[in-house]
Amino acid sequence: MPKIKTSRTKPPPEGFDEIEAILEDYNRKMRDAESESHEGKRKTETLWPIMRIVHTRSRYIYDLYYKREAISRELYDWLLKEEYADANLIAKWKKTGYEKLCCARCIQSRDMNYAGSTCICRVPKAMLKDGVVVECTHCGCRGCASSD
Amino acid sequence: MSHGPKSDLNKAGVEQSDFPILCETCLGPNPYVRMSKQTLGAECKICTRPFTTFRWLPGAGMRFKKTEICQTCAKSKNCCQTCLLDLQFGLPTQVRDTALGLKNAAPTSAINREYYAQNIEGKLEDGASGAINFGKADSAGKELLKRLARSDPGYKRNRPHLCSFYAKGACNRGDECPYRHELPVENELSHQNIKDRYHGTNDPVARKILAKHAAEGGLAPPADTSITSLFLTSLPPTATEDAIRHFYLSSAGMPANALKSVVLVPASRVAFVNFTDRKSAEMGAEQSGLKVVIEGVEVKVQWGRSRPKKSQGSAPATGPISQVAERELATSGK
Repeated sequence: MPKIKTSRTKPPPEGFDEIEAILEDYNRKMRDAESESHEGKRKTETLWPIMRIVHTRSRYIYDLYYKREAISRELYDWLLKEEYADANLIAKWKKTGYEKLCCARCIQSRDMNYAGSTCICRVPKAMLKDGVVVECTHCGCRGCASSD
Repeated sequence: MSHGPKSDLNKAGVEQSDFPILCETCLGPNPYVRMSKQTLGAECKICTRPFTTFRWLPGAGMRFKKTEICQTCAKSKNCCQTCLLDLQFGLPTQVRDTALGLKNAAPTSAINREYYAQNIEGKLEDGASGAINFGKADSAGKELLKRLARSDPGYKRNRPHLCSFYAKGACNRGDECPYRHELPVENELSHQNIKDRYHGTNDPVARKILAKHAAEGGLAPPADTSITSLFLTSLPPTATEDAIRHFYLSSAGMPANALKSVVLVPASRVAFVNFTDRKSAEMGAEQSGLKVVIEGVEVKVQWGRSRPKKSQGSAPATGPISQVAERELATSGK
């Protein structure tokens, strides 16, 4: 919904041109995912590609700034403001134990059946019974514990 | 339940409860179970009134079970809220009712059902122990039920349901599919209906249990398939043809045309019950396998003997000639 250019939006700071190509790629993937047919998929499964692209795009920007330190602070802030990355998700990634979190919904205990619980994708594979494959219903995540 | 000054006295309030009425098998082997409660979670499958649903996991690798019928319906039949089996014996309603000779009082159709459910809720709240009074039922019936009940808990009922995609050969989920990857079996037990099971009419599992019992009790269908009659002995002297007919039609729940005739021989206190076809005869035998009470006296039931083929046209069962013939059969049968 955002990323509409109005007269109020500020132009991007320098350094945007290098990453613009990759962001455009993500944009295209997102549009493809949005227009995919729903045939052969479960109701919950139709949203999984969207959540996945949001995760990888945010991951890309998070890596650029925090890990590789390849972009400036202004550019990073501008990207978050224009919602190229999910700021809430990145806020969780900064916390220990949540470095590989799949989406914000899977730790939201209000959405869960029992109080204070999380989605099954947060459980480390070591704790699950052998051979059990899980795909969480919210985002299709197969396990986002930091130890996996 | 206190109604406000202007509320309709006949209006049903909502059903609320703190804990479900469940059998041990449905709860599962784990003594620590985490259960979620939702007030007005669903409508009762029998009386269609909203009630408090409970949902829990009865063990690893099981499906999540939830309460299917409301507490009122469960209390009136003394059965578990999910599996609808008797709480004391774990047997289907029909088996328990035939063994104890209880009549089904709950109406099945629409407004009658709602009225009944509403009123019985009021009665149950007032402290009655429910519609089933176990003390009054005779102990022979209870002994029988104890024998019929299974000794070990069978957790097969808690397994996940069958994967319908796998049955078509098209399950994309593979290993992470939570449903059972087995091919469905089609036998007489596959077509079960929750309303039938609850009210105790036309329940295939109950029929199977009763038939097995009847077979053990010497009431196995005889090999000669042309035999379509049952032979009753030790009848009370006050028994009438009508009483016998009434027994088979009402309590055995047989359709009105299944009974061809009832021939009563008061002299020797026996009767022949002729059915229209072999299938009805077998159904009658199943119902008789447990107990046949006519005019308050328990009657012995056996299969009739094959009729010798009559060449002349004296086929109809009623008529003085055939009665004499049957009396001859009766005396030689003893």
